[in-house]
Amino acid sequence: MMRIGLLASIVALLLGAPLVLSGHVVGVLTTALIAVLFAMAFNLLSGRAGMLSFGHAAYFAIGGFAVIHAMQAVEKGLLWLPTPLLPLVGGVAGLIGGLCAGYFATLRSGVYFSMVTLALAELLHAIAPNLGSIFGGEVGLTTMRMPWTSFDYGNEVHVYYTVVAWVVLCIGLLYAYNQTLFGRLTVGVREAERRVSFLGYNLHHTKIIVFGVSAMFSGIAGGLLAFTTESINYSILGMGMSASVVLHTFVGGSGVFFGPAVGAFVFALFGSLVSDMTKNWLLYQGILFVGIMMFMGDGLAMLWLRIVNEFKERNWSALKLRALLLPPGLLVAAGVVTLLELTSRILDQQYAAIVSRTKAWPPVSLYGFNWNPTALATWLVPILAIGAGAGLVFLAISRAGREAAPRAALAGEHAR
Amino acid sequence: MEFIVISALNGLVYGLLLFMVSAGLTLIFGMMGIVNFAHASFYMLGAYLSFTIARISNFWLALLIAPLIVMAAGMFIERFMLRRVHGFGHSQQLLLTFGIAFVFEELVKLFWGNFPVAYRPPPLLSGPAFSLFGTNFPSYRVFVAAVAIVLLGLLYLLLQKTRIGIIVRASVQRPGMVSALGHNVPLVFLGVFGVGAWMAGLAGAVGGALLTTSPTMSGEMSVIAFVVVVVGGLGSLLGAFIASLLIGLLTSFSVGFQVSLADVAQLFGYGEQARQIGGLLTLEISSMSASLPALLMLVVLLTRPAGLMGDRN
Repeated sequence: MMRIGLLASIVALLLGAPLVLSGHVVGVLTTALIAVLFAMAFNLLSGRAGMLSFGHAAYFAIGGFAVIHAMQAVEKGLLWLPTPLLPLVGGVAGLIGGLCAGYFATLRSGVYFSMVTLALAELLHAIAPNLGSIFGGEVGLTTMRMPWTSFDYGNEVHVYYTVVAWVVLCIGLLYAYNQTLFGRLTVGVREAERRVSFLGYNLHHTKIIVFGVSAMFSGIAGGLLAFTTESINYSILGMGMSASVVLHTFVGGSGVFFGPAVGAFVFALFGSLVSDMTKNWLLYQGILFVGIMMFMGDGLAMLWLRIVNEFKERNWSALKLRALLLPPGLLVAAGVVTLLELTSRILDQQYAAIVSRTKAWPPVSLYGFNWNPTALATWLVPILAIGAGAGLVFLAISRAGREAAPRAALAGEHAR
Repeated sequence: MEFIVISALNGLVYGLLLFMVSAGLTLIFGMMGIVNFAHASFYMLGAYLSFTIARISNFWLALLIAPLIVMAAGMFIERFMLRRVHGFGHSQQLLLTFGIAFVFEELVKLFWGNFPVAYRPPPLLSGPAFSLFGTNFPSYRVFVAAVAIVLLGLLYLLLQKTRIGIIVRASVQRPGMVSALGHNVPLVFLGVFGVGAWMAGLAGAVGGALLTTSPTMSGEMSVIAFVVVVVGGLGSLLGAFIASLLIGLLTSFSVGFQVSLADVAQLFGYGEQARQIGGLLTLEISSMSASLPALLMLVVLLTRPAGLMGDRN
């Protein structure tokens, strides 16, 4: 019940957002929502069915290109389609592309499956610039949205509401999919492939359909992006897009239904917020991903669920440990960021030019302070922060371990 | 004739370079069962580090030091990162190496900028080695091939003629059994990971000056090295060697071919129709040379998934 309330309030917030937010922020929200849908579609294949795809940008891009072509056809009057329904074309294209690619990719499983998806995407990426009529060459394709009834699609708010409607609808469909028998079968493919085929299901066909459905929703997401930006370029087929959806999904957590959405939303907002401040924002995304993979492999959404659970169980010692770990963790993060930002500012081309001209190292400004790059303290402060933070984390964990150990032993006694 | 000989030589050099990268990748896969997405990052790191060291001191010192630094980085990653998530299964390790590769690419962009750097061969090796059909063959290509062949010989001796080599080969086949016999398998893993990283670093140090040294080099090499490993058969060094040469030759020959599917259709008298359809049919092989490795990998995976020399599926 609480969950429905939470979802309803999120949808209400999304619907109300344009009333209070500026046009720029609405634009950011639009791209964030598209990333959310893409990650959710990707997770159907990679999380639910356990087939890790490293080339999902292909289906996202196929959807995008299909929508651009459809928009061009509508513009020329060759096709009649209400503007808000355009992303549907992306879904159909994604489904067809996914069924074809899925037929080949799902012949293999495990690492081999990942390799085939990667190879297929790379193949498309390498061929695309040579097929000018379909992918628009290096320049890409551009078009215009046509007005529809009272929606003239001239401003970002109209686009935003269309995107919200599509994303909410698609996530609802994905949720419904998981509740069906076939949705359970999808999980079965991940958990016990052999048993699925012993139960009489055609494993290969099942996998192809899952692949196709995932590609279809990815295609809708790609279509929404094309619909929003009114242009598309073959670079969207590249590894960057495939990599970012992997990052989003696993940072959020592939084991929870809304995990990928959380990851995508957090990263998209993080991206737009941090990319204004530093050019190294992708590096921070990568470091965040590696950190999450190493220290909490099941992602942010799972972490949240765990904290909620600990509150419910009144497991104060676990919560205390988390609270104790937070400040030193932030200290380490601050140290790493400071170190990287200082390095990046010193290695900047403009700065290097000044150094070679004046033969001196002028101070660099960061967080409103001037840091002297030749002073030892400049480098010692962030390094000490990292060291102190890491030491405190280690201390807290080992103390918690010592406190928990006798209690666990006692619990074992009782159990016996 | 000239085209064939020059293309064959270029393909051979490129293939040998590919082998230096993919040898470590295939050994690591055979042993630990992980596809190391960060392996091509070692190649990139080797190129950038030796570029910087060569600028400060000289090329030969760079060739010595840069791969050693890469080796240290590789061993750190194995010992403190991959081993940490070992218990969570292969996909977690795969994702972790994926993330590490991502971080490496961004770090390179931070330190050296998001553009290619001018990493050139030393003056001693920038002249022609010999001339064939009036074309000069650069001596740096000969040098790259020589480095790769020496490395190949050393690797062969190490793996086939020493006791360490026997343990390593056995760990590739049956890690559990080797461990049961009392060998320290994690240490063997660490060593192989280090040597693999060292070889990739060396390949980068010599290859960076032959090809381009840019932040995208790891992504491109990554795909090609995967192709080599898959085509050769996962875990098989001989297979990786054959596949490297095969792909080297394929890439260098395809660049020179101005043939399209429409020309093939012409042989059967359907040339005009094919040209009218356009699209894929009029695409020349030369412009598809970047995608040929991926195509080859698909064909091999779908027809002979164990690869040329692999024995497992």
